[in-house]
Amino acid sequence: MALLEVHDLVKHFPVRGGLLNRVVGRVHAVNGVSFSVERGDILGIVGESGCGKSTLGKCVIRLIEPTGGSLTYDGEELFDLRHDELMPFRRKMQIIFQDPYSSLNPRLTVKALLKEVLAFHRIVPREDLDARIMELIAQVGLRPEAADKFPHEFSGGQRQRIGIARALALEPEFIIADEPVSALDVSIQAQVLNLMMDLKRDLGLTLLFISHDLKVIEHFCDCVVVMYLGFIVEELSCDELHERALHPYTKALLGANPVNDPDDARDLTVLQGDVPSPYDLPKGCPFASRCPVVEDRCREEMPPLEEKKDGQRVACFVVE
Amino acid sequence: MMRRFFRSRGVRKLVRDRLAMVALGVISIYLALFFMMWCGFLVEKEETFERVGANTEVGFFEEPTIEQRLLYLEFYLDNLYSAADSRTPEASLAAIDLYGRLPTLTDPDAVIERIDPLWEVYDELVELYEDDAFSDDPESLPRLEELEAEAATLYTEPEGLMGRLALALGTDRQGRSIFLRALYSIKIAVQIGLVCALISVAIGTILGGAAAFFGGVVDHVIVWLYSTFSAIPYIVLLMVLAAMFLGSAFEGTLVPVYTAFCMTFWIAPCRVIRGEVMKLRELEYVQAATAVGFGRGRILLKHIIPNTTHLMFINFSLLFIGAIKAEVILSFLNLGVKNEPSWGVMIKQATQEVISGFFWQIGAATVFMFVLVLAFNVLSDALQDAFDPKHV
Repeated sequence: MALLEVHDLVKHFPVRGGLLNRVVGRVHAVNGVSFSVERGDILGIVGESGCGKSTLGKCVIRLIEPTGGSLTYDGEELFDLRHDELMPFRRKMQIIFQDPYSSLNPRLTVKALLKEVLAFHRIVPREDLDARIMELIAQVGLRPEAADKFPHEFSGGQRQRIGIARALALEPEFIIADEPVSALDVSIQAQVLNLMMDLKRDLGLTLLFISHDLKVIEHFCDCVVVMYLGFIVEELSCDELHERALHPYTKALLGANPVNDPDDARDLTVLQGDVPSPYDLPKGCPFASRCPVVEDRCREEMPPLEEKKDGQRVACFVVE
Repeated sequence: MMRRFFRSRGVRKLVRDRLAMVALGVISIYLALFFMMWCGFLVEKEETFERVGANTEVGFFEEPTIEQRLLYLEFYLDNLYSAADSRTPEASLAAIDLYGRLPTLTDPDAVIERIDPLWEVYDELVELYEDDAFSDDPESLPRLEELEAEAATLYTEPEGLMGRLALALGTDRQGRSIFLRALYSIKIAVQIGLVCALISVAIGTILGGAAAFFGGVVDHVIVWLYSTFSAIPYIVLLMVLAAMFLGSAFEGTLVPVYTAFCMTFWIAPCRVIRGEVMKLRELEYVQAATAVGFGRGRILLKHIIPNTTHLMFINFSLLFIGAIKAEVILSFLNLGVKNEPSWGVMIKQATQEVISGFFWQIGAATVFMFVLVLAFNVLSDALQDAFDPKHV
């Protein structure tokens, strides 16, 4: 059985307006998303800005309350639990944020930050606190002097390491990484990714890795879910991603990545048009307005997410 | 905690700002004086109502005119003479105490015997002055000086530093020391500033923080409350609140002033802190704290409110001087400090003196207040620069 199973997750944000502050509309951030993550796997979620991938990640650990759907973690339904009943799962599921600058409280030193987390969940006995903190700091590749420093004394990459240390402090088995390297320089990205890879291997973690960069996903993940306008359009294994990709949007994303070869004169399919507004969803396929292979049927009917070949699910009428 | 505070970037930046350090020095002097008076040193409240000399004596660097010198002489001679000439001469003489300056002679007959010839000289000099012949006679000025020296021997030397300084800035129309009154007003001003600023910032932080963090009904109620309060012209509200206490048990104390200020001053910090908390609660470190499982109270108190301290500092220093300035306005309108000297009370009383060209009282009160207010303005600017995390 999969460690995490998400069924039909929906998140709508109400839009209020007018004199009486009534709900005048809804932003459809996530529209019935289902996927599962096997223990020990890394599932990537990819999509462009505003496609609902971060909302999805935050719904999974209930930082944002989902509107509907269900989520089972290790066989237990999480969306029915009250916040105080979630506490055992808070230890098991942690999150790493995108912005290393706003994700650390500027008033707490690294030591104070980790101590608060460790002491709150009584992870280690009081007398072992300091030792455990130093161990965590070493684990994420920071120097021991870092313990007494404040966040503003670190670089972006180092801050991200502190964020990872905070997530690891609870000894979780499942970590959601919400664009953990998007805000970092390319050279630092590789360091942080390698660190996460090592930690994943050493600690046997399961990861939900959210990114807008297919290159990173391809390198890092086992499986990838491609999202567009709050829908999953394709789910496939990361091995030979270029060959396997079927959905026109996935292909467009892959084509948008530059290749280190001047002779590679690829036939670039640059997407035209804009993403439809999540405030006012189109009737048919969400990608129809920009799809290069669109058919009449696509504008009328929503293509279901179907398994096309071994484990690969695609939501498209056209491709086979 | 303290060690970390003093090592922080903000403090280091503040220490480098030379103007801010001067301002901090000035404020420390005021605070030191405040604490000394609060503990009962320097000046007591009763002493600010004592007569220390003749009426409207001028201060240290202004040369009194011949007319003023004659008036002072008349006071010092008459003060002793009428006491010695009264029905209970011993008791009256013993009661004379010009802030430590006592009569040198205690026997009434001796006093009269001593002063009688002085009166004669005095009368001649007054006659000369009234005939505009004072400057014609080269003898008259030395005679006046001799008479002043004689009159001075009738009183003992003032005691202590305060005794010598009592006449430094002259006296008001009731012969009370302007210096002592202005000095004692520091206590009143700092007391009002501290109490009002502390309470207002505390109320503002709690309400603003709660409004932004909990949102919904709490937010609506608090926003409605401060919108309503700020819609009322502030000085009118102050007057109404101060007037409400007339006739109550608190009349004559500082409680009406505290109440009026705290009810109007909490709005500014509340608004600012609400905005800041609204921003902070969306930040990822707050989400991270939620993901760890911390309760909402812990997140608000440990992760959000500490990050608004720079705003509390700035608002405190703004409200501190705001209260001091507002006290002057209220006292000027007779709604402020009662039964105690304050800069506002002094300025109000000085309005009548200013008409007759006597500026010592209004000058002293204004300068004492100006220095403190300026120092606080400079410091709050520097605090803003040093502690606002957005400044680099």
